Amino acid sequence: MIQLFQLYKNFGSKNPALLDINLTVKKGEFVFITGPSGAGKTTLLKIIFCAERPTSGNALVDGRNLNRIKDRDLSLLRRSIGVVFQDFKLLPRRNVFENVALTLEIIGFPLSMIRKKVHQTLRYLSLTNKEGYYPPQLSGGEQQRVAIARAIVNNPLILLADEPTGNLDPDLTIEIMALLQEIHIRGTTVLVATHSQELLKDTTRRIVTLNKGRIA
Amino acid sequence: MKITLFHYFIRQATANILENRLVHLIGIGTMSIAFLIFYAFILIFVNINHWTETQGKTLTMSIYFKEEPDSAVIENIKKELFLFPGVTIKQFISKDDAMKSLRRKLGEKAGLLDGFKQNPLPASLEITLSRDKDGDNLPYQLKTRLEEITVVDEVQYTQEWIKRVQVIMEAIKIVGIIFGGLLFLAALFIITNTIKLTIYSRKEEIEILKLVGATNLFVKLPFMIEGSIQGLLGGAVALFILFLAYIIAITKIDISIGFASLHIVFLSPQTILFLLLMSVIIGFIGSTISVGRFFRL
Repeated sequence: MIQLFQLYKNFGSKNPALLDINLTVKKGEFVFITGPSGAGKTTLLKIIFCAERPTSGNALVDGRNLNRIKDRDLSLLRRSIGVVFQDFKLLPRRNVFENVALTLEIIGFPLSMIRKKVHQTLRYLSLTNKEGYYPPQLSGGEQQRVAIARAIVNNPLILLADEPTGNLDPDLTIEIMALLQEIHIRGTTVLVATHSQELLKDTTRRIVTLNKGRIA
Repeated sequence: MKITLFHYFIRQATANILENRLVHLIGIGTMSIAFLIFYAFILIFVNINHWTETQGKTLTMSIYFKEEPDSAVIENIKKELFLFPGVTIKQFISKDDAMKSLRRKLGEKAGLLDGFKQNPLPASLEITLSRDKDGDNLPYQLKTRLEEITVVDEVQYTQEWIKRVQVIMEAIKIVGIIFGGLLFLAALFIITNTIKLTIYSRKEEIEILKLVGATNLFVKLPFMIEGSIQGLLGGAVALFILFLAYIIAITKIDISIGFASLHIVFLSPQTILFLLLMSVIIGFIGSTISVGRFFRL
């Protein structure tokens, strides 16, 4: 599903953010990307959903070469990747329903289908009673769940989650991780970037550790 | 385009306008002033053009008499007139009729005429001449011939005026094109900047839309529709103000050019539609320039 070959990423003249990354993630895998802050976890995810372009090397996602991808294909690729951002990136002027519906509106789903899918997803994430709320009216955990709802409403092939439990208390962390596991069981390839060793303590999932831009 | 997407774009565009209503109100206000000046120019042009066309089709001539002529004199002049082709006698206006007509026109100010011991207005005979290809010299020949008759004081006709007005019209046309061009640029500048402000206020939203898979066109279209709506509203407000000014003008002012009264007409429905379409196009171009610049950043 994801193949990275000799991937490098530089930002200006500073130390490279990513160095010689070689990584393959199979369809339906659940992978943790871990490492200390500044190790390159977020940059790696950004390259996968094309928010950043590699400086050199090759990246293939769902068979598409990201070095040569056109604008139109880029939009199509992003529609097949759900992203849960560290800072949620919810639209403050749209309510929960509208935030989640956004992904489907972009694709051009009919209104009735949008309503049905959004309600299903909100029910799945226990957000039904919050659909008219605006992000600033929600707690951190609720915002995180809305961000997850937006990422999964279109049944993406890949789900990328960047520090999905970074701002949450231990109870909510367990809840969110259980949700990600469930989404994985449904067949989605999941990559979770986290610096929390607590999360990885008892996991049987594959762990990829980054240190100073390299896979350790 | 799918109905859902179209619905989405219109909803987004109107939401953008409502959320940034102050910026849009200022934009629409400024733009309608620019449009109003341009439309007023067009209205003046249309009216002068209309006047010269209607006057040009049938040429009106007034024969003024030194004294009130008796019916025999009038009959003799009529006989003389029928020697010329295309002449139609419209009406004889006696001194009293002329005074009554003037009193009617002055309305409340008619009392001013009470100061005259004698009626100073001349009696006149109004005739029309149909225009034909050889007709250009005919009014002049007729005028010369009639002024030789001793009871006739003066002969006036509209063609002299039309020629003068046509020269002015040419000048107005050139000034109008230059002026219109400048106002077009001003309107474009206003729209470009208004849309730019709304784009910047939604920068984060645009970024998120792109990250969740929106195409450039999907992000751009609501802004383009927003600009078009702004253009349309600016144009509509300008036309509404112009219409109010027109209503005031036709009820309060009696405009005369020489002896020919100017009947003021408003812009035709086709012209109104064309001008509204123009303002939408200006709005669309302005916003397209704005989004184009933003997406190059």
